[in-house]
Amino acid sequence: MIEIINAAAQAIIVDSGRYGFSDIGVPHSSALDMFSYKAVNFLTGNEDGAPAIESFGPMFSMKFHEEMVFAVTGAWVDGVIDEIPFTSWRSIRAKRGSIMKIKRVYSGFRYYIGFSGKMDIDQVMGSYTTNLECCFGGLDGRPLKKGDLIRFSNITSIEDRFILKDAIPSMDPPHTLRIIDGPEIDYFTDDAIEKIFGKKDVSSYVVSTKSNRTGIRLEGNPVEFKEGVEKSIISEGILPGTIQIPGDGMPVIVLNERTLGGYARIASVAKVDQDMLAHLKPKDEVILKRIDIEEADTLWNTKQKLIKNLLKNE
Amino acid sequence: MECLRYGECGIRIIFGHTIDQDINNRVINFYRSLKSKCIAGVIDITPSFNTCLIEFDSTTIDFKSLIDIIKGIDFCAAYPKDLASKVIEIPVRYGNEYGPDMEFVSQWTGLSFEEIIRIHTSTVYTVYTIGFIPGFPYLGTLDKRLFVPRLKTPRTSVPAGSVGLAQLQTGIYPFESPGGWQIIGRTDMVLFDYKKPPYSILQNGDKVRFIPV
Repeated sequence: MIEIINAAAQAIIVDSGRYGFSDIGVPHSSALDMFSYKAVNFLTGNEDGAPAIESFGPMFSMKFHEEMVFAVTGAWVDGVIDEIPFTSWRSIRAKRGSIMKIKRVYSGFRYYIGFSGKMDIDQVMGSYTTNLECCFGGLDGRPLKKGDLIRFSNITSIEDRFILKDAIPSMDPPHTLRIIDGPEIDYFTDDAIEKIFGKKDVSSYVVSTKSNRTGIRLEGNPVEFKEGVEKSIISEGILPGTIQIPGDGMPVIVLNERTLGGYARIASVAKVDQDMLAHLKPKDEVILKRIDIEEADTLWNTKQKLIKNLLKNE
Repeated sequence: MECLRYGECGIRIIFGHTIDQDINNRVINFYRSLKSKCIAGVIDITPSFNTCLIEFDSTTIDFKSLIDIIKGIDFCAAYPKDLASKVIEIPVRYGNEYGPDMEFVSQWTGLSFEEIIRIHTSTVYTVYTIGFIPGFPYLGTLDKRLFVPRLKTPRTSVPAGSVGLAQLQTGIYPFESPGGWQIIGRTDMVLFDYKKPPYSILQNGDKVRFIPV
């Protein structure tokens, strides 16, 4: 069993997502940085798809009521276990009564905490992940709070595991996001497309403080619509990573909490770079770089193969 | 039927370019038929007014193979053209604290409260699509006399069960959530229950009528 002492800015239970219900409006709500999420399960000897904690901000703190192995991935943190510093991205042994604290997050934004046991929480609609907006999934459909107790079964004592630093992407700004053309790219003037993608195929924006787990708002050059074109579309299915342009011209990157959208979609963040969306903090600079779909496919397939090899349980 | 790629792992099937009962019937036919095929690698299907989005897992199936499978299926034959099923009745308390925008709707349309209620309850609506949040039905087509714009500034919080109007649509908020529709009433009916399949009381293509209480 573990006990939450401080749940930082926000801590929720996540997994690889709730799929198969977008026809009734249920979004994926998956971990935002899937590589870090998969890595934390690997480091703690869990199967892919097991629940883990996604959190951001300093001050996260918890107590272990029994011996187990844990790991922290995602953003790089200054963490201590019983006041002794530990390293992110490797498995750590905690004793019965140990207290773990995250004092500072120094690179990246969201971090993932996993444990070497089966978390005793129920699936809702086939997934452990939390739908915060509608209050279901995870732990009673809400963020973790002080005093929460989470029980485990099948606690294992696995061998030490770590991920080589070379395999971990930089999470520091400026963030370069490769993007591919969206369904409504024709709604925008050539000038506007040049502005968002830049003359040399690059352009920069800043992450707005109005961003949250539903979407990331960017601030910078407003993207102009062609004259006379409708500024919205008939609402239809949208995918995570889509860049929408609302009437004010400021791009919004859709995350994993919406199934339908009614704004024009100028582009999509390439899947190879979507994990980085978990690490976009207010005021961070974002550079958008246009690539074509063939390149995006190749990059995504390559990344998936690398992850699969890296996180092989052998 | 036009098939367009969207992102690395999405296909948009486009059936038309307007909000229209016939176009939506074709979307729903396609969606029900595709869903029943349980194609490996198809991880989510999102039907809407005039399109259907298919999300696939590229480690299981690639874009070209999936397009070939989709094009090889005779969707039109799969279901009868008329999707009409039973009409689901939704009891609504109109006006007062349940419908804070009734006054605005009355002023905008020039109709009395009674006329608004009579017109709103006299149409059998179709669930054109469900989403943005779980179980939120986009119902159409609203009588033209009730056409109202969305709120200029959306509310940060709309109570669960609120019945709203926006342009030629009417809808119901299953959860307390932010919202920009003009709220004219509220229902006690639970529209979404994550504990019990099929979770959403209303399904795509269902028929709905509001009953004043």
